[in-house]
Amino acid sequence: MDIKRAKIRDLRKSLDNKEISAAELCDEYFKRIEEVDPRLLSYITVTKDKAMKDAENAQKLIDAGKATALTGIPLAIKDNICIDGVKTTCASRMLENFIPPYNATVIEKLNAEGYVLLGRTSMDEFAMGGSNQTSAFAKTKNPYDLERVPGGSSGGSAAAVSASLAPAALGSDTGGSIRQPSSFCGVTGIKPTYGRVSRYGLVAFASSLDQIGPICNDARDCAIMLNAICGHDRHDATSANIDTPDFTEKIGQPINGLKIALPKEFFSDAVDHTVKACVLDAAKELEKLGATLVECSMPGLKYAIPAYYLIACAEAASNLSRFDGIKYGFRGEGRTFEELIRDSRSRGFGEEVKRRILLGNYALSSGYYDAYYKKALALKQEIIKEYNEIFELADVILTPTAPTPAYKIGAQDNDPVKMYQADICTVTVNIAQLPGISTTCGYTADNGLPIGMSIIGKRFDEQTILQVADAWEYGFVPLSPEL
Amino acid sequence: MAVELKTIEHLCELSKLDYDEDGMKKVMGEMGAIIELMDEIKEFDLTYDDTKDGNKIAFKDTREDVAEESFSTEKLLSNTESADGCYVVPKVVE
Amino acid sequence: MSAYFPTMGLEIHAELLTKSKVFCTCSAEFGGTPNSRCCPVCSGLPGTLPVLNQRAVEYIIRAGYVMNCDISRFTKWDRKNYFYPDLPKAYQISQMPRPVCLAGTVNINVNGEDKVIRINRIHLEEDAGKLVHDEVNRISLADYNRCGIPLIEIVTEPDFHSADEVIAFVEKIKLLLQYAGICDCKMEQGSIRCDVNISIAPKGSTELGTRTELKNLNSLKAIARAIEVEIERQEELLENGERVIQQTRRFNEQLGETTAMRSKEDAHDYRYFPDPDIPPIIFTEEELEEIRKSIPELPEQRVKRYVEEFGLKKADADIIVGNKAICDFFDEALAEYNNPKAVANFILGELMNRINRGEADMEALKFSGKEFAQLVELMQTDKISQANGKAILREMIENGGTAKDIADKGDLWIKEDNDLLAKVVDEIIANNPKPVEQYKNGDQKVFGFFMGQANKALKGAASPKAIQEYIRKKLDG
Repeated sequence: MDIKRAKIRDLRKSLDNKEISAAELCDEYFKRIEEVDPRLLSYITVTKDKAMKDAENAQKLIDAGKATALTGIPLAIKDNICIDGVKTTCASRMLENFIPPYNATVIEKLNAEGYVLLGRTSMDEFAMGGSNQTSAFAKTKNPYDLERVPGGSSGGSAAAVSASLAPAALGSDTGGSIRQPSSFCGVTGIKPTYGRVSRYGLVAFASSLDQIGPICNDARDCAIMLNAICGHDRHDATSANIDTPDFTEKIGQPINGLKIALPKEFFSDAVDHTVKACVLDAAKELEKLGATLVECSMPGLKYAIPAYYLIACAEAASNLSRFDGIKYGFRGEGRTFEELIRDSRSRGFGEEVKRRILLGNYALSSGYYDAYYKKALALKQEIIKEYNEIFELADVILTPTAPTPAYKIGAQDNDPVKMYQADICTVTVNIAQLPGISTTCGYTADNGLPIGMSIIGKRFDEQTILQVADAWEYGFVPLSPEL
Repeated sequence: MAVELKTIEHLCELSKLDYDEDGMKKVMGEMGAIIELMDEIKEFDLTYDDTKDGNKIAFKDTREDVAEESFSTEKLLSNTESADGCYVVPKVVE
Repeated sequence: MSAYFPTMGLEIHAELLTKSKVFCTCSAEFGGTPNSRCCPVCSGLPGTLPVLNQRAVEYIIRAGYVMNCDISRFTKWDRKNYFYPDLPKAYQISQMPRPVCLAGTVNINVNGEDKVIRINRIHLEEDAGKLVHDEVNRISLADYNRCGIPLIEIVTEPDFHSADEVIAFVEKIKLLLQYAGICDCKMEQGSIRCDVNISIAPKGSTELGTRTELKNLNSLKAIARAIEVEIERQEELLENGERVIQQTRRFNEQLGETTAMRSKEDAHDYRYFPDPDIPPIIFTEEELEEIRKSIPELPEQRVKRYVEEFGLKKADADIIVGNKAICDFFDEALAEYNNPKAVANFILGELMNRINRGEADMEALKFSGKEFAQLVELMQTDKISQANGKAILREMIENGGTAKDIADKGDLWIKEDNDLLAKVVDEIIANNPKPVEQYKNGDQKVFGFFMGQANKALKGAASPKAIQEYIRKKLDG
């Protein structure tokens, strides 16, 4: 069977109709992984043995007529989501040999569906980066051009789905880490509303911003994945205790009458001309489908990058303090606790992670807290206010996902500031805890690189952004990478 | 913007990170540029009000006080050196 | 006479008596084999998240009410960041700008004088683990069983000027927390711990001197002694023209001296910030009222009730209430035999006597309050003589058992043997013509002589009431 860009729902049919067994299906993917991944480097760990066992169990459910949406569906999981007994490295030397003794809540939920684990996808170290080049183990490449980055931090997940090395994957998004690589790799990824999906078991980068979400071939598959992983969790006090709808419900519904806002600051000169034109063309297409375009403004965007980095790094500095070489992770050398901890951290963490820890401690340290961290929290409140104002005029917001298409590997290596500024289109969605989905809206004329657009929704209104993304995708012909 | 060596050394102390001489030079330059970017936020003139933050929960929505079975000690210690069911720490100097 | 006066403030940490830990579902009980009361959350595994225990919050609100604090309607949690191997997450979840309780007062009585101590704040936080140092191998072993046990930290204003005041306050706090049902206050187990901030200034000065903080004081005796020693040390420094340096000091009980704990200057930049994993909490007035109403009877009310309803002497009530274990024992006894005065008298007289002699331990009695009450009732209803009652109590202290069984075994019952009574008393009267003469001449006091003689000779064979009646009949008749 052809697994190229195969949709979850199509695989479901094939499995249920016994056209293929769960074991055969995941074998198809392993064959392709073996063929393609040595060049792509999207996986850190491939879990073949476990997959065969998973597939066997799934097949029993299928044969018994007890299959649910994801039974027997092979999935790739970003390497920062804990799986009991499976190495979870966060693409860091620090956790090179870390085997969690427990499952993340999303994994428990996928297990309940009878999913099949293909392996652990690469990422920027501790999800810090937008290129996958800070990974200590697999510096993933872009499936459309192996000399370019796949985006990040969920670059391994996006590249794997794009190159059909998995039909779908889980990623995590702190400042764009699902949407930006989805855009670079020409796939669809959704960051759910903060609190929609439990963070329990997701190795924390920035706790107030992190959210797990799916990366798939289209919006409808994203909805299917979201249905499986969302919901209140007693292990995560920040998970929302509200009813969860069927996220596929509005898929396929026409979008006429919907109001789509385009905040002008997202279309400034900081955004590549090609990207801008492509997103605006898509907006016009959506208008043709019956939506109304609304002009609006978000003045706070000007300060979004410092606000985001101050909050994210402050939380990260604290979250990553637990890596001391004592309880788990890389254990350095030292005769005293002080020596051991310094050696473990200095050698276990990569350069970008260290910079962010330093920045976070700078923002929190005595004498700087009010000027930086507290100011960033004030800006967070302002951005939430500005989003609320826009949502009084519109149902969803449309923006580019990233200022440029995928760039060349090495282009931002020595310039952290440039790297941070590239997050401008995505970070406010995390700051305001909103849902956002990125879908491909076109390809660059000269080199065929995917361009992504983001649709941002009101809190807990994933249904409408899925509906809009699906309406767009209905008339769009995606181009698979040639690999 | 140049960041003083003293400042970076202080941050390294708070972060428990060490750099060699070259690494220190490099990170000083990078942190200078990063902090300059962060400084843009200083011109933003609004104050933070924590009572207006979202995500508050009601007292009744906190966890009920029920003790459940704990985890296997062996499993907890499976990722590190241990002795007598404890984590092994080099001598703590006070 | 010293030329200086001391000023002190306290930070008291008390572990709350919840069933589970404050941020996970592990048991919050004291002890256990190392790392057996742990889970991925309290061991700080990557990816885990804290979920706040409702009862811990309820208990700190109780603490706030018993110390007359303002209870915040909005409260939140912060991370206190520092590296230490007993702190697996490398931050302690605590509260900084929005503690649950603010601005309270506690009344104390020192050497007969009343004084009000102001409470600055009470906040909720998690306890750290324990390190056992292996000097031979130069390693430490970390046990996280205690990690995540809920703690309240009570911070006072600098309202203390003597060790006596400090001790009186700590004793009062222990009693309040015990009666409020939120802490067992076992200093030796560390369930209540006390740090003292201490400074001295020349008498008449309105400014406070530089303070030091005394840590790890694990008994009332240690607190008193450490304060005394530290005041002396500071006085000596000032007398020699030196300065007191602001630092944390440890008290060495064996050597009777305080020594500076080594700490780097940066160690105190805790970089507090709101914990993004724990949503802030809002309380309704109804919830707070319900918690306030749930607070058990406090010591002052209990003393009042014992005096007013039971007719106990204030001093006696103070002693009973002043020790929660005795008070609980007293209440248990009353549930069996509702004779407060008799029970109180036997506790304060005989039982306390044995305890003070070190023959019994209130925390580890071999009999219950109920069994104690049965003994008191047997004595009060003339089934057992006072002397035998005391003997039975001694037996119960030593080996346990019920009064009835011990009386059976030792044949200690009053037998109401009227023939023997008549014989013995008749003999006594016959043998003592002089006292008989005195009695007949109106000397009532001499009656006691006959009672004593009869009691001694009868050895519990008749009840005091029967003896008294028979002697009266004989002498009057």
